[in-house]
Amino acid sequence: MASANRGLNRYFDINGWLFVAPAALLIAIFMVYPILQSLWMSFQTGRGMMTQFGGLANIRRLFDDPMFMLALYNTMIFFIVQVPVMLTLALFLASLLDNPNLKFRGLIRTAIFLPCVSSLVGYSVLFKSMFVQDGLINSTLVGLGISDHPIPWMTDPFWARVLIIIAITWRWTGYNMIFFLAALQNIDKSIYEASRIDGVPAWGRFFHLTVPMLKPVILFTVVTSTIGTLQLFDEVRNIMTSDAGAATGPSNSALTLSVYIYNLTFKFMPNMGYAATVSYVIVVAVALLAVIQFYALREKD
Amino acid sequence: MNKTFKTSLAALVFSTSSVLAMAAAQAKEITIWCWDPNFNVAIMKEAGAIYSKTHPDIKINVVDFAKADVEAKLQTTLASGVTDSLPDIVLIEDYGAQKYIQSFPGAFASMNDVVDYSKFAPYKVKLATVDGKTYSMPFDSGVTGLYYRKDYLEQAGFKPEDMQNLTWDKYIEIGKKVAEKTGKKMMGLDPNDAGLIRIMMQSAGGWYFNDKGELNITGNEALKAALKTEGQLLSSGITKPASGWSNWVSTFTSGDVATVITGVWITGTIKATKDQENKWGVAPIPKLDVKGATDASNLGGSSWYVLASSPEKKEAVDFLNSVYGKDVDFYQKILVNQGAVGSLMEARKGAAYETADAFFGGEKIWQKFADWLSKVPSVNYGVFTNEVDAAVASQLPAIGKGGDIDAALKAIEAQAKSSMQ
Repeated sequence: MASANRGLNRYFDINGWLFVAPAALLIAIFMVYPILQSLWMSFQTGRGMMTQFGGLANIRRLFDDPMFMLALYNTMIFFIVQVPVMLTLALFLASLLDNPNLKFRGLIRTAIFLPCVSSLVGYSVLFKSMFVQDGLINSTLVGLGISDHPIPWMTDPFWARVLIIIAITWRWTGYNMIFFLAALQNIDKSIYEASRIDGVPAWGRFFHLTVPMLKPVILFTVVTSTIGTLQLFDEVRNIMTSDAGAATGPSNSALTLSVYIYNLTFKFMPNMGYAATVSYVIVVAVALLAVIQFYALREKD
Repeated sequence: MNKTFKTSLAALVFSTSSVLAMAAAQAKEITIWCWDPNFNVAIMKEAGAIYSKTHPDIKINVVDFAKADVEAKLQTTLASGVTDSLPDIVLIEDYGAQKYIQSFPGAFASMNDVVDYSKFAPYKVKLATVDGKTYSMPFDSGVTGLYYRKDYLEQAGFKPEDMQNLTWDKYIEIGKKVAEKTGKKMMGLDPNDAGLIRIMMQSAGGWYFNDKGELNITGNEALKAALKTEGQLLSSGITKPASGWSNWVSTFTSGDVATVITGVWITGTIKATKDQENKWGVAPIPKLDVKGATDASNLGGSSWYVLASSPEKKEAVDFLNSVYGKDVDFYQKILVNQGAVGSLMEARKGAAYETADAFFGGEKIWQKFADWLSKVPSVNYGVFTNEVDAAVASQLPAIGKGGDIDAALKAIEAQAKSSMQ
C-alpha cells in the first residue's frame, strides 16, 4: 500500500515532469507530430498543393500500380539476397579475425571496417565510375581474361542488381562485423577449451557454440540490416539514376521503395499523399519482418 | 540579472535591425536558378550584364545547380509553402511546365500584361499557358539535328551528301559500315533514357498524349515505330551503351562515336572539344517509316518563370521582357557563343543565323537549324510526360533484346495509367 502510494506520488511529482518536459516536447514536435501528419497525409489525394481527402483511395491504388509492385519486388530481392550474404560474410570475417594467432589483425580489421565511414554519396559515385561500360572493373576483368566481354553492369537488369548488392555489401559488411567481433570477445574462452578437450571439431565449435552464443547480436544485426535494406536509397539513386534518364537502372530493375517515394514527390507530378502511403508500406514491412525475426530467433528455454 | 537581460534584449534588437537594414540595401538583387554552365547559366549571365548597363541598381545573381537539383529544390520548396528560399526567376524544362503551373497554382507570375506573346513561337507560348494566362518567358528551342564526324564517315566511304535524307534503316546500315571500317560505334545510347524515343516520336507528329491531353499509347503509330527503331538500334550492335548524362556526353567528346542525335543545345558542348574542330558536320535526323514522318524534331528546351512570391517580381519581369522579349542582338550573341536557338521570331532574321561556323568547316549550320525548327511538328506535352517516360524506359532493355513491341506498349499503357492520378 505504502509503495503503491509512493509510486502514485511520483507520478504526480511536478518536478519530475518538468525535467522530462523539454525532451518530451521536442519529441512531440519533431517526431510524433510529423508521424501523425504523414499518416493524415497518406489519406489525401490530388496533385501538388491541390489535395483533398481521398479515404482509402491511395491504398487501393497500391494494388494496381505496377511500378509500386516492381519497387516492392526489387526491394525484397535486395533484402532476401543481400542481408544473408552480408551477415554470413561478416560472421565469417569476425571469427577469422577473432583468432589471436592471425598477423596484422588490427590492420585487417580497420581495412574491413573502413568502408563504413565513407560517405554514402561519395562511394556511390566512385562505384558508378568504376563499373561503367569502359570503367576500371570491366577493363580489369577483360584484361585479366576473367571475362571475354565487358559486363553490362549498368545496362542489364540482372547485373544492375548484382552491382547494387556488391556496393551495399562492401559498405556495410565491416559495420556488422564489428558487432560480431565485440560479441565474440565476450564469449568465455573456457567453453571452447572444454569443447576442444571433448574433441569437438572446429566447424562444430563454430556452429554449435559460436553461433548460438551470438544469437542476440545476430538478431540485432538482422533487424538493423533489414531496416537499412528496406530503406535503400542513396546507392541506387546515385549509381543508377542518371540526371537525364527516367528509369532507375535498366528496366527500373533497381527501383526501390524509397526511390519510388522520391520520384512520386520530386520527379513526377508531386503526389505527397500517395508517397506517404508508400512510406507507410515500408513501416509496415519493417514491423512485420522484425516481428518474424524476433520470433524465429527467440530464446527457446 | 534584470539589467543583463535588458542589455541582451537591446543587442538583439540592434542586430535584428541591422540585418533588416542589410536586406533593404540588397533589395534589388534578382536571384536566378538554372543548370548548364556552358549554356543557360552563361546566357543568363550575359543577359544580366546587358540589363545591368541600363539598370545599375539591380544586381543579377545566377545560381548554377544540376538540373535534377533545381527541379527537386523547386518542387520541395513549393510544396512546403515556405517561399523565403525560392529564387526570383527559375528555369523549367518545357516537358514539366504544365505540371508546375497546374499543381502549384499561384506560385508563378503570369506576364500577359507586360510581354507581347505574339512575337514568340506559338508552341512555346501554348505549353506555358493555362486558362488564358501565360506564365513563362519562352527561351530556347531543342530543335534536333544529326551531328556526324566527317572524318570517320569518310574512312567508311561516306560523303556528307550521303548523310542527307536518311531513313533509320539507312542510318543503321551506315553504322555497320562505320563499325567495320573504323571500329567506332555509330552513337552513344543510354538504354535507361527515353530521350531518343521522344525525338523519333515527335518527328512523326506523335506524343504520349493526344491533342486533348489524353493518354495515347497502344494505338500510337509514331511511338510504336520509335520503339521498333530503338530496338533495332540496340540489337544491331552499332551503339555504345552509356549510363547517365555525363557518361553519354563523354561518348562523343572522347571521339568514340561517329554521330550524335540530339537537341541543338548540345552544339556548345561539341564545340568545347577544340581538337575536333573541322571534323563535325550537321544533317537532318533520320526519318521514321510511318505516315507523317518528318526529319525535324525537338528534345528538351526550356523557359524562364518568375515566382509570384518574389519581392522583386516587377523588376524580374521587366528584366526578362527587356532582354529576352525584345533584344534581337542578344539573341545573335547567344546563338554564336552558346548555340542557343531562341524562340523570339524576329531574332531569326538576324545576321548571326546567316554566318558560317568555322568549327563545322564553314557550314551555315544555324540556317539549317532555323529551317528545321519551322518544320517541328507541334504536339501536346501534357502533364505526365515524366511518368510515361519512366514507363517507356522500363521497357527499353527488353525491346533491345528483341521483345514484342505490342506487349511493351500494353505494359507502358498499364503503368502510365496507374501513374496518372
